[in-house]
Amino acid sequence: MADLITAIKKVLEHTDLVLGWTTATSTGVAAPARFYTADEAEAAVFDSTCVHNLAVHLPRLKDKDVGIVAKPCDAQSVVELVVEREVARGKVKVIAAPCRAMLDVKLIWRRFGYGARIEDEGGRLQVNGREVPREDFILRKCLSCESTDPVIVDEQVEGDGHTGGPPDVGGRTDDLKERFAAMSVDERRAFWAEQFSRCIRCYACRDVCPMCFCRDVCLMQTRVPHWTGGSVESRDSEMAQMIRVSHLAGRCTGCGECERACPVGIPLLLLMNEQYRLIEEMFDYRPGSDIEARPPMQTFSIETDLWEGG
Amino acid sequence: MGRFIASENIPVLLTRLATDGAVWAPAELPDSGESVVFAPWQPGREVVLDRFTQMSPKELVLPMSERLLSFSYTLTMEGEEMEVESAIPGGHTVIFGARACDAKALVVLDALFHQDPETTWSDTQYRARRDDMTVVTIACVKGTADAACFCSSWENGTAEKAGSDVIIYPVPGGFLAEAVTIRGTEVTGWDMFDDSDQPLPELDTTDVVDFDGLVEKLVTPGVFSDLDFWGRESHKCISCGYCTYGCPTCYCFNIYDEMQGDRQGERCRSWDACMFYNYTVETSGHNPRPTIAHRWRNRLGHKFSYYPANQGETLCTGCGRCIRGCPTGVDIRDILRAAGEHE
Repeated sequence: MADLITAIKKVLEHTDLVLGWTTATSTGVAAPARFYTADEAEAAVFDSTCVHNLAVHLPRLKDKDVGIVAKPCDAQSVVELVVEREVARGKVKVIAAPCRAMLDVKLIWRRFGYGARIEDEGGRLQVNGREVPREDFILRKCLSCESTDPVIVDEQVEGDGHTGGPPDVGGRTDDLKERFAAMSVDERRAFWAEQFSRCIRCYACRDVCPMCFCRDVCLMQTRVPHWTGGSVESRDSEMAQMIRVSHLAGRCTGCGECERACPVGIPLLLLMNEQYRLIEEMFDYRPGSDIEARPPMQTFSIETDLWEGG
Repeated sequence: MGRFIASENIPVLLTRLATDGAVWAPAELPDSGESVVFAPWQPGREVVLDRFTQMSPKELVLPMSERLLSFSYTLTMEGEEMEVESAIPGGHTVIFGARACDAKALVVLDALFHQDPETTWSDTQYRARRDDMTVVTIACVKGTADAACFCSSWENGTAEKAGSDVIIYPVPGGFLAEAVTIRGTEVTGWDMFDDSDQPLPELDTTDVVDFDGLVEKLVTPGVFSDLDFWGRESHKCISCGYCTYGCPTCYCFNIYDEMQGDRQGERCRSWDACMFYNYTVETSGHNPRPTIAHRWRNRLGHKFSYYPANQGETLCTGCGRCIRGCPTGVDIRDILRAAGEHE
């Protein structure tokens, strides 16, 4: 196992650039960075504030050979992009980094102020020099993480003392997920109506999503044909989101970037998890788990018996 | 002699303000990842004054989406007749818990939307809302600005009063109130306020960005033509619309018709964002701003060059929302500083 900087330098010998993270001088947390040279790679970091899924940038870099530092969940996105032929396997090198569970940096800063100093070492979390319960500030998606081993690895690097295996979430469970699971259909309808009343249609959910590779020609925004209403009434925003959710069926790997990016905190991962569960149940398919797979939405036959293991 | 209101009397004040019109105040809604947005206040709903709001109160003068008019066609013996009914908003609005940067932003928007209708033009819907509004601002006293704030880049900084009717300053047990306008004097004269001779608490200061020369520099060929520069500086950006939608001064919109069948419909206006590809794509398919780099060049140019040149105000008040809320950690100050140092 190599250290991160050595691995990036090695990958740079065969690629044009490496997508990774460096420490932002203003805030002290990880910020996405692009390394083109070995000198630049000296600034690379990997820690529990590397929340972003950098695979989102790959479809825009099709003409380049790209290395990417990836958490296990990010690596699933790379796999699915290869499966969907958005990224050529030969043009991407995955530098796999083990993950102890990412911190919800946004939540920490909402509570303690933007730029509050975050130190997370050996599983102890300090904010502005005071210890706080780490499990209270773990990104919600990490609480039910199942993506412990990356499917494709070109270089494996050391983590911050975490050598792989399930993330360390301090025994915390996902309260919101449990409450949502227990809701009736009517309760869910009311829940989403309330949630989407806050939606501002900034499309951060779409733009941060590695699998939303339609990018600039997204159906959520079309006026002709007129698939979605332009108002921000809850039903129009819900409709726009449902279009996105259904287009991601069999693609979404559950990386949770949509939820993390939402500026008004709509828990979109609940929708994505539900859809992921249905796809698994219907097609026995888990996006991002098999680089040789053919996605169910590209192989569907009308004769398939969806519910009987067909 | 100043005026003081005890914390427990804030609901009394809000109740009184609500008799004049709809009161919007920062609230944390359930299961929202602790995000705070301006929401219609109702008795019993807690007002959050000690954290930043993810959305600015801009939506109360320029709603995210609104109906401008309704239209319908009817066939008569003489041919087709069109009926149009315009939608002019009515009713008083109270913004409670804006920051100085949010209130100033209303004045910045006025420079464009609220010009003298006799001599130039004025936006009917905007004016109707803006003319019938009370703004109660919470002062940024020591320790309440954060690392994303940069309003001290402007002369008045946190002490900016433009756009506010009343400014309330948190002090132990409640708030000192300063009336800025006649409406402010009326409000602070109500009996839930008491006289007080306490001095106003000291205000916070923030990070400072030097805008000197940017008005000209952003349109000179050097930095303007250097698309590699804009590409490097914006490499993190995913081209979503939050920085513009959260911004208290970004005002771009789209106008379109929502049809009900093919004979009647509504003409609507919704926020639009210069960071979207669709924003500039032309009917031919050509897009003059095809990449994120092009869009960033425009965003900075509009805010810090074209708008100041045309309207006399910077299209930014340093509220920091675009920095706090960016899903990929883009900091507009980094790009401004890099542009300032270009060549």
